[in-house]
Amino acid sequence: MMIAAVLLFMLQMKVPDAASFVGQPKGAPVVGAELDRRTHEVGSLVRCPVCQGMSVADSPSEMAVNMKGQVRELLARGYTEEQILEYFELSYGQFVLLRPKFEGVTAAIWLLPIVALIAGVAITFVMLKRLGRKPVAEPKSKPVSEPASDPYLARVRELAGGKS
Amino acid sequence: MNRTVLTIGVIITAIIVGLLFLGLGKNPNEIRSPLIGRPAPSFALREAGTGRTVDVAQFRGKPVVINFWATWCGPCWEEHPVLVAGARRHPEVQFVGVVFQDTEDKILGFLEQRGVSYPTVVDDRGKTAIAYGVAGVPETFFLDANGAIVAKYSGPLNAADLEQELRKGVR
Repeated sequence: MMIAAVLLFMLQMKVPDAASFVGQPKGAPVVGAELDRRTHEVGSLVRCPVCQGMSVADSPSEMAVNMKGQVRELLARGYTEEQILEYFELSYGQFVLLRPKFEGVTAAIWLLPIVALIAGVAITFVMLKRLGRKPVAEPKSKPVSEPASDPYLARVRELAGGKS
Repeated sequence: MNRTVLTIGVIITAIIVGLLFLGLGKNPNEIRSPLIGRPAPSFALREAGTGRTVDVAQFRGKPVVINFWATWCGPCWEEHPVLVAGARRHPEVQFVGVVFQDTEDKILGFLEQRGVSYPTVVDDRGKTAIAYGVAGVPETFFLDANGAIVAKYSGPLNAADLEQELRKGVR
């Protein structure tokens, strides 16, 4: 009687299901030692949201243990790695993925420094080329012309033995 | 040459300053959840104390406030009276508390001490919290009358924040 009451109660309870997020399983159910191995593999790709940069496979926190348990359950039901990661991403956002997808802001963060570097090299190259082509500027001040009859200069030339 | 360099410098500085202002203007408690705008994950969980099943779907047709909390969470002690008063002030809104990583006796002791005005259910293995993307407690989700999530608030709500969040889309 007691067992029946507990079973009835369990049937009445309902927790959110992955199927409402990512549909039906697309793979084959995983069992035994393979299930342990795959749980650790997939769990190591999911960030523990209450830890500092740890995966749910490595963290001992209760939240991580619960999330790892969910990974295990979904693998056992035949959900693929992609479906499981998508399930967590739909709840937590890309933050939960320890290997973020190469798209949107993530792609911009990776690409912008490369674009900036290429632009910097191009600008430097153009500027250097422009500097190289520039004609040598004429000196602004002309040398002071020697006066035609400078007695001091004439005396210097005479002493030096030259013609004036 | 100098004018070009100056213009580029001004543009880059303006972009950086603009991004900083955008970031500074945001409320750090208002976390953008990927669930916002989507139907709230459905759940039916055991109510602490009574043992009856509370199905969130039964509240469809009225706005719902779902608050994730735990007795070991300090800010939850501070927030709870705000929610109890909010639920009394807004009978048109259904409040539901979801407790995870906790024990029933501690939950009942907490409720006895801090007051009750809405059902509190127990999320035994944290599956509901995970489906809602809960990273820490307290976190509060605001659902419209159609059961779609319209806002998420991370951290303890005060009365003003609660009213503001309710105004956003729940009422």
